[in-house]
Amino acid sequence: MSIRKEHGNVSETTFNSPVDIGPLSAPDGSVTVADAASTTKVQVRGGADTGAAAELGVGYGRSQRRADGALVCGTRPDEWTIYAGAGQASAITAALSEVFGHFQGEPGEGFVTVIDITHGRAMLRISGSNATAALNKICNLDLSDELTPDGAVFSASVGNVGCDLVRDDEGGQTSFLIGCERSFGKFLFIAVADACTEFGLSVPHGWELHGH
Amino acid sequence: MIVVPCPNCGPRNSGDLRNCGELVPRPDPSAASLIEWREYLYMRKNPADWVTETWYCRGGCRRYFTIERNTATNEIRGQEAS
Repeated sequence: MSIRKEHGNVSETTFNSPVDIGPLSAPDGSVTVADAASTTKVQVRGGADTGAAAELGVGYGRSQRRADGALVCGTRPDEWTIYAGAGQASAITAALSEVFGHFQGEPGEGFVTVIDITHGRAMLRISGSNATAALNKICNLDLSDELTPDGAVFSASVGNVGCDLVRDDEGGQTSFLIGCERSFGKFLFIAVADACTEFGLSVPHGWELHGH
Repeated sequence: MIVVPCPNCGPRNSGDLRNCGELVPRPDPSAASLIEWREYLYMRKNPADWVTETWYCRGGCRRYFTIERNTATNEIRGQEAS
């Protein structure tokens, strides 16, 4: 088992998002696009049939919000991502390392890795009654409630960028968290905002999709 | 468009996946002759019929799996995780 036990973590240094613009909303509030890159993102990799996987409690394609507010997502068959508020990477990695340490050396457990990937990924949240319609324009998956209900986790192309998505409704409003590699973060934000212009969202000067 | 059923992600547009070609048994590198190794690397039957293929789910679970695909009709059967 390979687990980093150090508590020092670069995520707790100043975080600079690739998107330096506030949330953009349609005047009627039907769709909002907000940068969420500072979200703590901790990646766990391990066997799907191990005690560590059982401890995380969700399988591939589903998510579960823990009592402490962190969102545990089954990102791939043997990979999980934990999303939490900014600056919590050290606490989460330390807690996971402690829990997974109990399985160390047990038969069939193999390697479990816990890595803070906060700085390597950009993230945004699109929410509102028109969020699904806007996202459907640039996403290659069917985002209907039947196929991607609240809590669904999936990977798809959004604006031709490979993304990890979570349907994470807030207060009864449809909402998606979309993460991608950091270097694509600004483009993804612009592409999503551009898809929302049809629903009344205004894009500030310099953030137009075809203005670059 | 070809819809390919990934064992983990379900039906996906083939654009989300990568076709890795016909499934060819890998010979033992220490025992294979140069001709056998060359055939493994380069030679494919490419029939207009049922072919067992490997696909990679690059846009989803990032796993390899095999399916049987009829190259004449694109009908698919027998999906299996690699």
